[in-house]
Amino acid sequence: MARTRIIVNGDGIESIVRFDKHQIAQHWLLIISEMMLLLTGLPQKFATWAASQWWINVLGGMENVRIVHRIGAYLMIALCVYHVIYLLYSILVLKRPFPKKMLPTRQDIVGFFQEMMYLVGWRKEEPKWDRFNWKEKFEYWSIAWGGPIMILSGFILMFPVFFTNMLPGWIVPTALVAHSWEAIIALIWIFVVHFFFVHFGPGVFPLNKSIFTGKVPVKLYKHEHPLEYERLIAQQKEEEGNDSGHTEDTLYREGEEEEDSLYSKK
Amino acid sequence: MKLWNNNIYGSISWALKRKVTTKILRTSFLVLIILILGIATVVALDSDKANALDESDCLSCHSDPMLAKPIVGGGSIPLYVDGDEQSASAHRYIDCTTCHTTEPHSVETPLTKASLAEKCGSCHQYQYKLHLDSVHGEQLALGNPDVATCVDCHSENRSPHSIIRVLEHNATAYKKNIAATCAVCHGDGELMASYDITEKVYESYMRDFHGKAMELGGTELSQLNKATCTNCHGAHNIKSVNSEDSPVGTLEHLAATCEGCHEGAGEEFASGFLGHKQTSASTVPVAYYVEKFFIIMVWVIGVIAIGLVALAAIRYASQHRWKE
Repeated sequence: MARTRIIVNGDGIESIVRFDKHQIAQHWLLIISEMMLLLTGLPQKFATWAASQWWINVLGGMENVRIVHRIGAYLMIALCVYHVIYLLYSILVLKRPFPKKMLPTRQDIVGFFQEMMYLVGWRKEEPKWDRFNWKEKFEYWSIAWGGPIMILSGFILMFPVFFTNMLPGWIVPTALVAHSWEAIIALIWIFVVHFFFVHFGPGVFPLNKSIFTGKVPVKLYKHEHPLEYERLIAQQKEEEGNDSGHTEDTLYREGEEEEDSLYSKK
Repeated sequence: MKLWNNNIYGSISWALKRKVTTKILRTSFLVLIILILGIATVVALDSDKANALDESDCLSCHSDPMLAKPIVGGGSIPLYVDGDEQSASAHRYIDCTTCHTTEPHSVETPLTKASLAEKCGSCHQYQYKLHLDSVHGEQLALGNPDVATCVDCHSENRSPHSIIRVLEHNATAYKKNIAATCAVCHGDGELMASYDITEKVYESYMRDFHGKAMELGGTELSQLNKATCTNCHGAHNIKSVNSEDSPVGTLEHLAATCEGCHEGAGEEFASGFLGHKQTSASTVPVAYYVEKFFIIMVWVIGVIAIGLVALAAIRYASQHRWKE
Protein backbone atom coordinates (compact mmCIF):
# COMPACT_ATOMS: atom_id res chain seq x y z
CA MET A 1 0.00 0.00 0.00
CA ALA A 2 1.70 3.04 -1.21
CA ARG A 3 -0.36 5.39 0.86
CA THR A 4 1.17 4.49 4.19
CA ARG A 5 4.30 6.46 4.85
CA ILE A 6 6.68 7.22 7.66
CA ILE A 7 6.65 10.75 8.96
CA VAL A 8 8.35 12.49 11.82
CA ASN A 9 6.22 14.35 14.33
CA GLY A 10 7.09 17.70 15.80
CA ASP A 11 8.15 16.00 19.01
CA GLY A 12 10.63 13.85 17.14
CA ILE A 13 8.69 10.59 17.43
CA GLU A 14 8.64 8.65 14.21
CA SER A 15 5.14 7.66 13.20
CA ILE A 16 3.52 5.83 10.37
CA VAL A 17 0.36 7.21 8.82
CA ARG A 18 -2.27 4.50 9.12
CA PHE A 19 -5.62 6.27 8.67
CA ASP A 20 -6.66 9.07 6.36
CA LYS A 21 -8.95 11.89 7.42
CA HIS A 22 -12.06 10.13 6.13
CA GLN A 23 -11.34 7.08 8.23
CA ILE A 24 -10.75 9.28 11.27
CA ALA A 25 -14.04 11.09 10.65
CA GLN A 26 -15.84 7.77 10.25
CA HIS A 27 -14.51 6.48 13.54
CA TRP A 28 -15.60 9.69 15.30
CA LEU A 29 -19.06 9.35 13.81
CA LEU A 30 -19.17 5.75 14.94
CA ILE A 31 -18.20 6.69 18.51
CA ILE A 32 -20.71 9.52 18.73
CA SER A 33 -23.64 7.65 17.21
CA GLU A 34 -22.89 4.46 19.12
CA MET A 35 -22.68 6.27 22.44
CA MET A 36 -25.92 8.14 21.74
CA LEU A 37 -27.63 4.86 20.90
CA LEU A 38 -26.27 2.94 23.86
CA LEU A 39 -27.01 5.68 26.38
CA THR A 40 -30.59 5.95 25.21
CA GLY A 41 -31.16 2.31 24.23
CA LEU A 42 -29.84 0.45 27.26
CA PRO A 43 -32.19 2.13 29.77
CA GLN A 44 -35.05 1.09 27.50
CA LYS A 45 -33.89 -2.52 27.50
CA PHE A 46 -33.39 -2.54 31.26
CA ALA A 47 -36.42 -0.41 32.07
CA THR A 48 -36.96 -1.80 35.56
CA TRP A 49 -33.52 -0.77 36.83
CA ALA A 50 -33.48 2.22 39.13
CA ALA A 51 -30.41 3.50 37.29
CA SER A 52 -32.30 3.44 33.98
CA GLN A 53 -35.18 5.39 35.45
CA TRP A 54 -32.82 7.90 37.01
CA TRP A 55 -30.91 8.35 33.77
CA ILE A 56 -34.03 8.78 31.66
CA ASN A 57 -35.22 11.36 34.13
CA VAL A 58 -31.89 13.18 33.74
CA LEU A 59 -32.38 13.20 29.97
CA GLY A 60 -35.78 14.78 30.42
CA GLY A 61 -38.13 11.86 30.07
CA MET A 62 -38.93 9.01 27.76
CA GLU A 63 -40.04 11.13 24.82
CA ASN A 64 -36.71 12.96 24.70
CA VAL A 65 -34.85 9.68 24.93
CA ARG A 66 -36.72 8.29 21.96
CA ILE A 67 -35.86 11.37 19.91
CA VAL A 68 -32.17 11.19 20.82
CA HIS A 69 -32.13 7.48 19.98
CA ARG A 70 -33.50 8.22 16.54
CA ILE A 71 -31.01 11.03 15.93
CA GLY A 72 -28.23 8.61 16.89
CA ALA A 73 -29.68 6.02 14.52
CA TYR A 74 -29.83 8.40 11.58
CA LEU A 75 -26.28 9.49 12.35
CA MET A 76 -25.11 5.89 12.23
CA ILE A 77 -26.98 5.29 8.98
CA ALA A 78 -25.31 8.42 7.58
CA LEU A 79 -21.98 6.98 8.65
CA CYS A 80 -22.68 3.71 6.83
CA VAL A 81 -23.62 5.60 3.69
CA TYR A 82 -20.50 7.77 4.06
CA HIS A 83 -18.33 4.66 4.36
CA VAL A 84 -19.81 2.99 1.30
CA ILE A 85 -19.46 6.17 -0.77
CA TYR A 86 -15.90 6.60 0.49
CA LEU A 87 -15.08 3.03 -0.53
CA LEU A 88 -16.67 3.30 -3.95
CA TYR A 89 -15.13 6.71 -4.59
CA SER A 90 -11.63 5.62 -3.70
CA ILE A 91 -11.89 2.45 -5.76
CA LEU A 92 -13.82 3.64 -8.80
CA VAL A 93 -12.84 7.29 -9.10
CA LEU A 94 -9.42 7.46 -7.51
CA LYS A 95 -8.58 4.01 -8.90
CA ARG A 96 -7.07 2.95 -5.64
CA PRO A 97 -6.56 -0.79 -5.29
CA PHE A 98 -9.50 -2.66 -3.81
CA PRO A 99 -8.79 -2.88 -0.05
CA LYS A 100 -8.43 -6.64 -0.17
CA LYS A 101 -6.35 -6.58 3.01
CA MET A 102 -9.62 -6.24 4.93
CA LEU A 103 -10.94 -9.53 3.53
CA PRO A 104 -10.64 -12.54 5.83
CA THR A 105 -7.99 -15.01 4.71
CA ARG A 106 -6.67 -18.37 5.77
CA GLN A 107 -3.84 -16.53 7.46
CA ASP A 108 -6.33 -15.00 9.91
CA ILE A 109 -7.42 -18.43 11.11
CA VAL A 110 -3.82 -19.57 11.43
CA GLY A 111 -2.94 -16.33 13.21
CA PHE A 112 -5.92 -16.69 15.51
CA PHE A 113 -4.77 -20.12 16.65
CA GLN A 114 -1.18 -18.94 16.95
CA GLU A 115 -2.35 -16.08 19.14
CA MET A 116 -4.37 -18.45 21.32
CA MET A 117 -1.31 -20.68 21.65
CA TYR A 118 0.72 -17.63 22.63
CA LEU A 119 -1.86 -16.51 25.18
CA VAL A 120 -1.99 -19.90 26.90
CA GLY A 121 1.78 -20.11 26.83
CA TRP A 122 2.37 -22.82 24.23
CA ARG A 123 4.10 -20.44 21.90
CA LYS A 124 6.84 -17.95 22.63
CA GLU A 125 5.93 -15.31 20.07
CA GLU A 126 2.82 -13.58 18.94
CA PRO A 127 1.79 -14.16 15.35
CA LYS A 128 3.00 -11.59 12.83
CA TRP A 129 0.18 -9.58 11.31
CA ASP A 130 -0.04 -7.67 8.09
CA ARG A 131 -2.17 -4.51 7.84
CA PHE A 132 -5.10 -5.89 9.87
CA ASN A 133 -5.15 -8.54 12.57
CA TRP A 134 -8.07 -10.90 13.04
CA LYS A 135 -9.67 -8.72 15.72
CA GLU A 136 -9.62 -5.65 13.50
CA LYS A 137 -11.16 -7.60 10.64
CA PHE A 138 -13.74 -9.15 12.93
CA GLU A 139 -14.77 -5.75 14.27
CA TYR A 140 -15.02 -4.28 10.79
CA TRP A 141 -17.16 -7.13 9.48
CA SER A 142 -19.24 -7.13 12.66
CA ILE A 143 -20.54 -3.74 11.64
CA ALA A 144 -21.14 -5.07 8.16
CA TRP A 145 -23.54 -7.76 9.43
CA GLY A 146 -24.63 -6.12 12.67
CA GLY A 147 -25.41 -2.76 11.09
CA PRO A 148 -28.06 -4.05 8.69
CA ILE A 149 -29.66 -6.08 11.50
CA MET A 150 -29.85 -3.01 13.72
CA ILE A 151 -31.02 -0.67 10.98
CA LEU A 152 -33.69 -3.00 9.64
CA SER A 153 -35.04 -4.07 13.02
CA GLY A 154 -34.88 -0.47 14.22
CA PHE A 155 -37.00 0.71 11.32
CA ILE A 156 -39.49 -2.10 11.96
CA LEU A 157 -39.80 -0.93 15.56
CA MET A 158 -40.05 2.69 14.45
CA PHE A 159 -42.77 2.07 11.85
CA PRO A 160 -44.57 -1.09 13.00
CA VAL A 161 -47.82 -0.21 11.24
CA PHE A 162 -46.09 0.36 7.91
CA PHE A 163 -44.16 -2.91 8.09
CA THR A 164 -47.05 -5.07 9.28
CA ASN A 165 -49.10 -3.88 6.32
CA MET A 166 -46.63 -5.78 4.15
CA LEU A 167 -45.12 -8.38 6.45
CA PRO A 168 -46.57 -10.78 9.03
CA GLY A 169 -47.20 -9.49 12.55
CA TRP A 170 -44.51 -11.60 14.24
CA ILE A 171 -41.93 -9.41 12.54
CA VAL A 172 -42.35 -6.80 15.31
CA PRO A 173 -41.54 -8.97 18.37
CA THR A 174 -38.78 -10.61 16.31
CA ALA A 175 -37.29 -7.23 15.45
CA LEU A 176 -37.40 -6.28 19.12
CA VAL A 177 -35.42 -9.29 20.33
CA ALA A 178 -32.95 -9.02 17.45
CA HIS A 179 -32.46 -5.28 18.00
CA SER A 180 -31.88 -5.42 21.72
CA TRP A 181 -29.69 -8.53 21.83
CA GLU A 182 -27.55 -7.56 18.86
CA ALA A 183 -26.85 -4.32 20.70
CA ILE A 184 -25.69 -6.28 23.74
CA ILE A 185 -23.34 -8.33 21.58
CA ALA A 186 -21.81 -5.16 20.13
CA LEU A 187 -21.58 -3.64 23.60
CA ILE A 188 -19.74 -6.64 25.02
CA TRP A 189 -17.24 -6.79 22.19
CA ILE A 190 -16.49 -3.06 22.14
CA PHE A 191 -16.22 -2.59 25.87
CA VAL A 192 -14.31 -5.77 26.57
CA VAL A 193 -12.19 -6.86 23.59
CA HIS A 194 -11.83 -3.64 21.62
CA PHE A 195 -11.04 -1.48 24.65
CA PHE A 196 -8.64 -3.98 26.16
CA PHE A 197 -6.59 -4.84 23.11
CA VAL A 198 -6.65 -1.41 21.49
CA HIS A 199 -6.33 0.86 24.51
CA PHE A 200 -5.17 -1.10 27.53
CA GLY A 201 -2.63 -3.39 25.91
CA PRO A 202 1.12 -3.11 26.50
CA GLY A 203 2.62 -0.07 24.81
CA VAL A 204 -0.65 1.78 24.34
CA PHE A 205 -2.22 2.12 27.79
CA PRO A 206 -4.17 4.26 28.65
CA LEU A 207 -5.32 5.50 25.24
CA ASN A 208 -4.34 4.63 21.72
CA LYS A 209 -4.64 7.89 19.86
CA SER A 210 -3.90 6.55 16.39
CA ILE A 211 -7.53 6.51 15.19
CA PHE A 212 -7.82 10.17 16.20
CA THR A 213 -4.52 11.40 14.79
CA GLY A 214 -4.19 8.88 11.98
CA LYS A 215 -0.63 8.12 13.01
CA VAL A 216 0.88 5.16 14.84
CA PRO A 217 4.30 5.37 16.50
CA VAL A 218 6.84 3.29 14.57
CA LYS A 219 7.70 1.20 17.61
CA LEU A 220 4.07 0.22 18.07
CA TYR A 221 3.54 -0.38 14.38
CA LYS A 222 6.56 -2.66 14.27
CA HIS A 223 5.05 -4.66 17.07
CA GLU A 224 1.41 -4.76 15.96
CA HIS A 225 1.76 -5.06 12.21
CA PRO A 226 5.31 -6.37 11.63
CA LEU A 227 4.71 -7.76 8.13
CA GLU A 228 3.31 -4.50 6.86
CA TYR A 229 6.00 -2.54 8.64
CA GLU A 230 8.77 -4.49 6.95
CA ARG A 231 7.17 -4.02 3.57
CA LEU A 232 6.77 -0.31 4.22
CA ILE A 233 10.39 0.11 5.15
CA ALA A 234 11.47 -1.73 2.05
CA GLN A 235 9.16 0.41 -0.02
CA GLN A 236 10.36 3.59 1.61
CA LYS A 237 13.97 2.73 0.87
CA GLU A 238 13.15 1.92 -2.70
CA GLU A 239 11.33 5.20 -3.14
CA GLU A 240 14.15 7.17 -1.61
CA GLY A 241 16.48 5.38 -3.99
CA ASN A 242 14.33 6.32 -6.96
CA ASP A 243 13.88 9.78 -5.48
CA SER A 244 10.36 9.79 -6.80
CA GLY A 245 8.54 9.97 -3.45
CA HIS A 246 5.29 10.40 -5.26
CA THR A 247 2.97 7.62 -6.11
CA GLU A 248 -0.09 7.37 -8.28
CA ASP A 249 -2.19 7.96 -5.18
CA THR A 250 -3.15 11.60 -5.66
CA LEU A 251 -5.81 12.08 -2.97
CA TYR A 252 -3.71 10.76 -0.22
CA ARG A 253 -0.57 12.56 -1.29
CA GLU A 254 -2.39 15.89 -1.08
CA GLY A 255 -3.55 15.17 2.43
CA GLU A 256 -0.10 14.09 3.40
CA GLU A 257 1.49 17.24 2.10
CA GLU A 258 -0.89 19.27 4.20
CA GLU A 259 0.16 17.33 7.22
CA ASP A 260 3.83 17.69 6.40
CA SER A 261 3.52 21.43 6.12
CA LEU A 262 1.65 21.50 9.41
CA TYR A 263 4.50 19.81 11.17
CA SER A 264 7.16 21.95 9.55
CA LYS A 265 5.36 25.05 10.82
CA LYS A 266 5.72 23.75 14.34
CA MET B 1 -7.10 53.27 59.46
CA LYS B 2 -7.42 50.11 61.42
CA LEU B 3 -10.58 48.45 60.28
CA TRP B 4 -10.83 45.74 62.85
CA ASN B 5 -9.23 45.42 66.27
CA ASN B 6 -7.90 42.19 67.60
CA ASN B 7 -10.23 41.99 70.58
CA ILE B 8 -13.99 42.10 70.68
CA TYR B 9 -14.17 45.26 72.83
CA GLY B 10 -12.06 47.11 70.35
CA SER B 11 -14.31 45.91 67.58
CA ILE B 12 -17.44 47.08 69.36
CA SER B 13 -16.05 50.47 70.22
CA TRP B 14 -14.90 50.82 66.62
CA ALA B 15 -18.37 49.88 65.43
CA LEU B 16 -20.02 52.29 67.84
CA LYS B 17 -17.75 55.07 66.75
CA ARG B 18 -18.60 54.44 63.14
CA LYS B 19 -22.32 54.23 63.93
CA VAL B 20 -22.32 50.85 62.28
CA THR B 21 -24.15 49.19 65.16
CA THR B 22 -27.39 50.99 64.62
CA LYS B 23 -27.29 50.08 60.95
CA ILE B 24 -26.56 46.45 61.71
CA LEU B 25 -29.26 46.34 64.36
CA ARG B 26 -31.80 47.92 62.06
CA THR B 27 -30.99 45.53 59.22
CA SER B 28 -31.01 42.42 61.39
CA PHE B 29 -34.31 43.48 62.91
CA LEU B 30 -35.79 43.78 59.44
CA VAL B 31 -34.40 40.38 58.40
CA LEU B 32 -35.76 38.83 61.58
CA ILE B 33 -39.26 40.23 60.95
CA ILE B 34 -39.24 38.91 57.38
CA LEU B 35 -38.04 35.51 58.56
CA ILE B 36 -40.71 35.25 61.25
CA LEU B 37 -43.43 36.32 58.85
CA GLY B 38 -42.19 33.83 56.26
CA ILE B 39 -42.04 30.93 58.67
CA ALA B 40 -45.40 31.84 60.13
CA THR B 41 -46.92 31.86 56.63
CA VAL B 42 -45.46 28.47 55.80
CA VAL B 43 -46.61 27.01 59.10
CA ALA B 44 -50.05 28.56 58.72
CA LEU B 45 -50.43 27.25 55.17
CA ASP B 46 -49.15 23.85 56.16
CA SER B 47 -51.39 23.51 59.18
CA ASP B 48 -54.37 24.53 57.10
CA LYS B 49 -55.18 20.89 56.59
CA ALA B 50 -58.69 20.61 55.33
CA ASN B 51 -60.57 18.60 57.86
CA ALA B 52 -63.13 16.23 56.53
CA LEU B 53 -66.66 17.43 56.85
CA ASP B 54 -68.09 15.83 59.95
CA GLU B 55 -71.24 17.71 60.83
CA SER B 56 -72.56 15.12 63.25
CA ASP B 57 -69.20 14.79 65.00
CA CYS B 58 -68.97 11.08 64.12
CA LEU B 59 -65.20 11.14 64.50
CA SER B 60 -65.43 11.92 68.18
CA CYS B 61 -66.16 8.21 68.62
CA HIS B 62 -65.04 6.69 65.36
CA SER B 63 -61.50 8.07 65.57
CA ASP B 64 -60.86 5.45 68.24
CA PRO B 65 -58.83 2.69 66.56
CA MET B 66 -60.22 0.11 68.95
CA LEU B 67 -63.84 0.83 68.15
CA ALA B 68 -65.50 -2.29 66.77
CA LYS B 69 -68.87 -3.94 66.65
CA PRO B 70 -69.15 -7.58 67.66
CA ILE B 71 -70.97 -9.86 65.27
CA VAL B 72 -73.45 -12.39 66.54
CA GLY B 73 -71.67 -15.36 64.94
CA GLY B 74 -68.30 -14.27 66.36
CA GLY B 75 -65.67 -11.80 65.21
CA SER B 76 -66.19 -8.11 64.88
CA ILE B 77 -66.49 -5.28 62.41
CA PRO B 78 -63.96 -2.50 62.86
CA LEU B 79 -65.67 0.87 63.09
CA TYR B 80 -62.55 2.99 63.11
CA VAL B 81 -62.28 5.82 60.60
CA ASP B 82 -58.86 7.36 60.00
CA GLY B 83 -59.54 11.09 60.17
CA ASP B 84 -56.33 12.04 58.35
CA GLU B 85 -57.07 9.62 55.56
CA GLN B 86 -60.62 10.86 55.24
CA SER B 87 -59.39 14.47 55.22
CA ALA B 88 -57.14 13.73 52.23
CA SER B 89 -59.70 11.77 50.29
CA ALA B 90 -61.79 12.86 47.35
CA HIS B 91 -64.96 12.89 49.44
CA ARG B 92 -63.64 14.97 52.32
CA TYR B 93 -66.34 17.61 51.88
CA ILE B 94 -69.17 15.12 51.78
CA ASP B 95 -70.62 14.55 55.19
CA CYS B 96 -70.57 11.04 56.69
CA THR B 97 -74.35 10.91 56.67
CA THR B 98 -74.48 11.26 52.89
CA CYS B 99 -73.33 7.67 52.56
CA HIS B 100 -74.07 6.30 55.98
CA THR B 101 -77.64 7.67 56.18
CA THR B 102 -78.88 9.95 58.92
CA GLU B 103 -79.49 6.87 61.06
CA PRO B 104 -76.12 5.14 60.62
CA HIS B 105 -76.47 3.07 63.76
CA SER B 106 -79.60 1.35 62.55
CA VAL B 107 -78.05 0.22 59.25
CA GLU B 108 -78.11 -3.51 58.86
CA THR B 109 -74.65 -5.04 58.92
CA PRO B 110 -72.40 -6.54 57.78
CA LEU B 111 -72.10 -4.52 54.61
CA THR B 112 -71.06 -6.42 51.52
CA LYS B 113 -69.06 -5.58 48.41
CA ALA B 114 -72.31 -5.45 46.51
CA SER B 115 -73.97 -3.06 48.97
CA LEU B 116 -70.87 -0.86 48.96
CA ALA B 117 -70.80 -0.68 45.17
CA GLU B 118 -74.49 0.08 45.16
CA LYS B 119 -73.86 2.92 47.59
CA CYS B 120 -71.19 4.42 45.34
CA GLY B 121 -73.56 3.96 42.46
CA SER B 122 -76.20 6.11 44.10
CA CYS B 123 -74.13 9.09 42.98
CA HIS B 124 -71.79 7.58 40.34
CA GLN B 125 -74.68 6.09 38.41
CA TYR B 126 -73.03 5.90 35.01
CA GLN B 127 -69.93 4.09 36.27
CA TYR B 128 -72.06 1.79 38.42
CA LYS B 129 -74.20 0.81 35.46
CA LEU B 130 -71.10 0.06 33.38
CA HIS B 131 -69.61 -1.94 36.22
CA LEU B 132 -72.72 -4.09 36.60
CA ASP B 133 -72.31 -5.02 32.95
CA SER B 134 -68.61 -5.79 33.28
CA VAL B 135 -67.03 -9.14 34.04
CA HIS B 136 -66.37 -7.91 37.56
CA GLY B 137 -69.94 -6.72 37.98
CA GLU B 138 -71.43 -9.96 36.67
CA GLN B 139 -69.51 -11.90 39.25
CA LEU B 140 -70.43 -9.37 41.92
CA ALA B 141 -74.08 -10.04 41.27
CA LEU B 142 -73.36 -13.73 41.80
CA GLY B 143 -71.90 -12.93 45.20
CA ASN B 144 -68.29 -13.66 44.29
CA PRO B 145 -66.10 -11.97 46.95
CA ASP B 146 -62.96 -11.92 44.77
CA VAL B 147 -64.13 -9.37 42.23
CA ALA B 148 -62.94 -5.83 41.94
CA THR B 149 -65.49 -3.21 42.94
CA CYS B 150 -65.14 0.57 43.25
CA VAL B 151 -62.88 0.62 46.30
CA ASP B 152 -60.62 -2.22 45.11
CA CYS B 153 -59.32 -0.06 42.30
CA HIS B 154 -59.85 3.46 43.64
CA SER B 155 -58.45 3.08 47.12
CA GLU B 156 -55.10 1.92 48.31
CA ASN B 157 -56.46 0.00 51.29
CA ARG B 158 -59.86 -0.86 49.85
CA SER B 159 -61.49 1.67 52.10
CA PRO B 160 -64.12 4.06 50.77
CA HIS B 161 -62.68 6.65 53.16
CA SER B 162 -59.34 6.86 51.35
CA ILE B 163 -60.39 7.24 47.75
CA ILE B 164 -58.14 9.67 45.90
CA ARG B 165 -59.16 11.39 42.71
CA VAL B 166 -57.90 9.81 39.51
CA LEU B 167 -55.83 12.79 38.37
CA GLU B 168 -53.74 12.95 41.51
CA HIS B 169 -50.29 11.33 41.26
CA ASN B 170 -50.81 9.13 44.30
CA ALA B 171 -54.19 7.80 43.21
CA THR B 172 -54.33 4.08 42.60
CA ALA B 173 -56.24 4.82 39.41
CA TYR B 174 -53.77 7.49 38.22
CA LYS B 175 -52.63 6.37 34.79
CA LYS B 176 -49.12 5.50 35.88
CA ASN B 177 -50.42 3.36 38.76
CA ILE B 178 -53.20 1.51 36.98
CA ALA B 179 -51.14 -1.53 35.99
CA ALA B 180 -49.87 -1.99 39.54
CA THR B 181 -53.43 -1.63 40.84
CA CYS B 182 -54.74 -4.31 38.48
CA ALA B 183 -51.76 -6.46 39.45
CA VAL B 184 -52.89 -6.53 43.07
CA CYS B 185 -55.31 -9.25 41.92
CA HIS B 186 -54.10 -10.10 38.41
CA GLY B 187 -50.53 -10.52 39.62
CA ASP B 188 -51.65 -13.04 42.21
CA GLY B 189 -50.84 -16.34 40.54
CA GLU B 190 -52.93 -18.50 42.81
CA LEU B 191 -56.01 -16.34 42.58
CA MET B 192 -55.71 -16.12 38.80
CA ALA B 193 -55.12 -19.84 38.45
CA SER B 194 -58.50 -20.42 40.07
CA TYR B 195 -60.01 -18.52 37.12
CA ASP B 196 -57.80 -20.30 34.54
CA ILE B 197 -55.87 -17.11 33.82
CA THR B 198 -52.34 -18.38 33.41
CA GLU B 199 -50.70 -15.46 31.61
CA LYS B 200 -48.53 -13.31 33.79
CA VAL B 201 -50.29 -10.20 32.59
CA TYR B 202 -48.43 -7.67 34.71
CA GLU B 203 -44.93 -8.95 34.00
CA SER B 204 -45.63 -9.28 30.32
CA TYR B 205 -47.08 -5.78 30.19
CA MET B 206 -44.02 -4.34 31.91
CA ARG B 207 -41.79 -6.21 29.44
CA ASP B 208 -43.70 -4.86 26.49
CA PHE B 209 -43.34 -1.52 24.70
CA HIS B 210 -46.28 0.06 26.50
CA GLY B 211 -45.24 -1.00 29.98
CA LYS B 212 -41.63 0.09 29.52
CA ALA B 213 -42.67 3.46 28.15
CA MET B 214 -45.03 3.87 31.08
CA GLU B 215 -42.40 2.82 33.58
CA LEU B 216 -39.85 5.24 32.14
CA GLY B 217 -42.31 8.02 31.42
CA GLY B 218 -42.04 9.88 34.70
CA THR B 219 -45.20 10.88 36.50
CA GLU B 220 -46.43 13.80 34.41
CA LEU B 221 -49.59 13.03 32.51
CA SER B 222 -48.07 14.50 29.34
CA GLN B 223 -45.49 11.68 29.38
CA LEU B 224 -48.06 8.99 30.07
CA ASN B 225 -49.95 8.90 26.80
CA LYS B 226 -49.16 5.19 26.53
CA ALA B 227 -51.58 2.32 26.74
CA THR B 228 -52.14 0.72 30.10
CA CYS B 229 -54.50 -2.13 31.03
CA THR B 230 -57.67 -0.08 30.86
CA ASN B 231 -56.89 1.47 27.47
CA CYS B 232 -57.24 -1.89 25.75
CA HIS B 233 -59.49 -3.85 28.11
CA GLY B 234 -61.81 -1.09 29.26
CA ALA B 235 -62.19 0.19 32.79
CA HIS B 236 -65.60 0.14 34.45
CA ASN B 237 -67.02 -1.84 31.56
CA ILE B 238 -64.17 -4.36 31.39
CA LYS B 239 -65.09 -7.62 29.72
CA SER B 240 -63.55 -11.05 29.86
CA VAL B 241 -61.10 -11.54 26.98
CA ASN B 242 -63.07 -14.67 26.17
CA SER B 243 -66.15 -12.57 25.60
CA GLU B 244 -67.19 -11.48 22.12
CA ASP B 245 -67.83 -7.98 23.43
CA SER B 246 -64.31 -7.47 24.72
CA PRO B 247 -62.31 -4.85 22.81
CA VAL B 248 -59.50 -7.40 22.73
CA GLY B 249 -61.66 -10.53 22.48
CA THR B 250 -61.15 -11.29 18.81
CA LEU B 251 -58.33 -10.37 16.46
CA GLU B 252 -60.73 -8.08 14.66
CA HIS B 253 -61.63 -6.26 17.86
CA LEU B 254 -58.01 -6.18 18.93
CA ALA B 255 -56.99 -4.59 15.63
CA ALA B 256 -59.68 -1.96 16.04
CA THR B 257 -58.44 -1.29 19.57
CA CYS B 258 -54.83 -0.97 18.38
CA GLU B 259 -56.00 1.44 15.74
CA GLY B 260 -57.29 3.74 18.45
CA CYS B 261 -53.67 4.84 18.87
CA HIS B 262 -51.75 3.26 15.97
CA GLU B 263 -53.35 4.83 12.96
CA GLY B 264 -53.73 2.38 10.10
CA ALA B 265 -52.93 -0.70 12.17
CA GLY B 266 -54.45 -3.84 10.74
CA GLU B 267 -54.94 -7.39 11.92
CA GLU B 268 -51.36 -8.33 11.07
CA PHE B 269 -50.20 -5.53 13.35
CA ALA B 270 -52.48 -6.80 16.11
CA SER B 271 -51.27 -10.36 15.65
CA GLY B 272 -47.77 -9.17 16.48
CA PHE B 273 -48.99 -8.53 19.99
CA LEU B 274 -48.37 -11.63 22.00
CA GLY B 275 -51.53 -11.43 24.09
CA HIS B 276 -49.56 -11.33 27.35
CA LYS B 277 -48.14 -14.74 26.51
CA GLN B 278 -44.52 -15.58 27.02
CA THR B 279 -42.84 -15.98 23.63
CA SER B 280 -42.71 -19.68 23.01
CA ALA B 281 -42.21 -22.08 20.17
CA SER B 282 -45.97 -22.30 19.71
CA THR B 283 -47.01 -18.62 20.00
CA VAL B 284 -44.47 -16.73 17.90
CA PRO B 285 -41.93 -19.34 16.81
CA VAL B 286 -39.75 -16.97 14.80
CA ALA B 287 -39.36 -14.43 17.59
CA TYR B 288 -38.80 -17.28 20.03
CA TYR B 289 -36.04 -18.94 18.03
CA VAL B 290 -34.45 -15.63 17.06
CA GLU B 291 -34.26 -14.69 20.72
CA LYS B 292 -32.82 -18.11 21.59
CA PHE B 293 -30.22 -17.67 18.85
CA PHE B 294 -29.23 -14.22 20.05
CA ILE B 295 -29.02 -15.26 23.68
CA ILE B 296 -26.71 -18.11 22.70
CA MET B 297 -24.69 -15.61 20.66
CA VAL B 298 -24.47 -13.24 23.63
CA TRP B 299 -23.12 -16.08 25.74
CA VAL B 300 -20.68 -17.24 23.09
CA ILE B 301 -19.38 -13.73 22.41
CA GLY B 302 -19.35 -12.90 26.11
CA VAL B 303 -17.36 -15.99 27.05
CA ILE B 304 -14.93 -15.51 24.17
CA ALA B 305 -14.49 -11.82 24.95
CA ILE B 306 -13.92 -12.23 28.65
CA GLY B 307 -11.82 -15.35 28.18
CA LEU B 308 -9.65 -13.63 25.60
CA VAL B 309 -9.06 -10.57 27.75
CA ALA B 310 -8.43 -12.65 30.87
CA LEU B 311 -5.91 -14.86 29.06
CA ALA B 312 -4.19 -11.87 27.50
CA ALA B 313 -4.06 -9.97 30.79
CA ILE B 314 -2.46 -12.93 32.54
CA ARG B 315 0.00 -13.59 29.72
CA TYR B 316 1.03 -9.95 29.30
CA ALA B 317 1.44 -9.55 33.03
CA SER B 318 3.48 -12.73 33.37
CA GLN B 319 5.82 -11.48 30.66
CA HIS B 320 5.98 -8.02 32.29
CA ARG B 321 5.03 -6.56 28.98
CA TRP B 322 3.29 -3.50 30.44
CA LYS B 323 6.62 -2.49 31.96
CA GLU B 324 8.46 -2.43 28.65
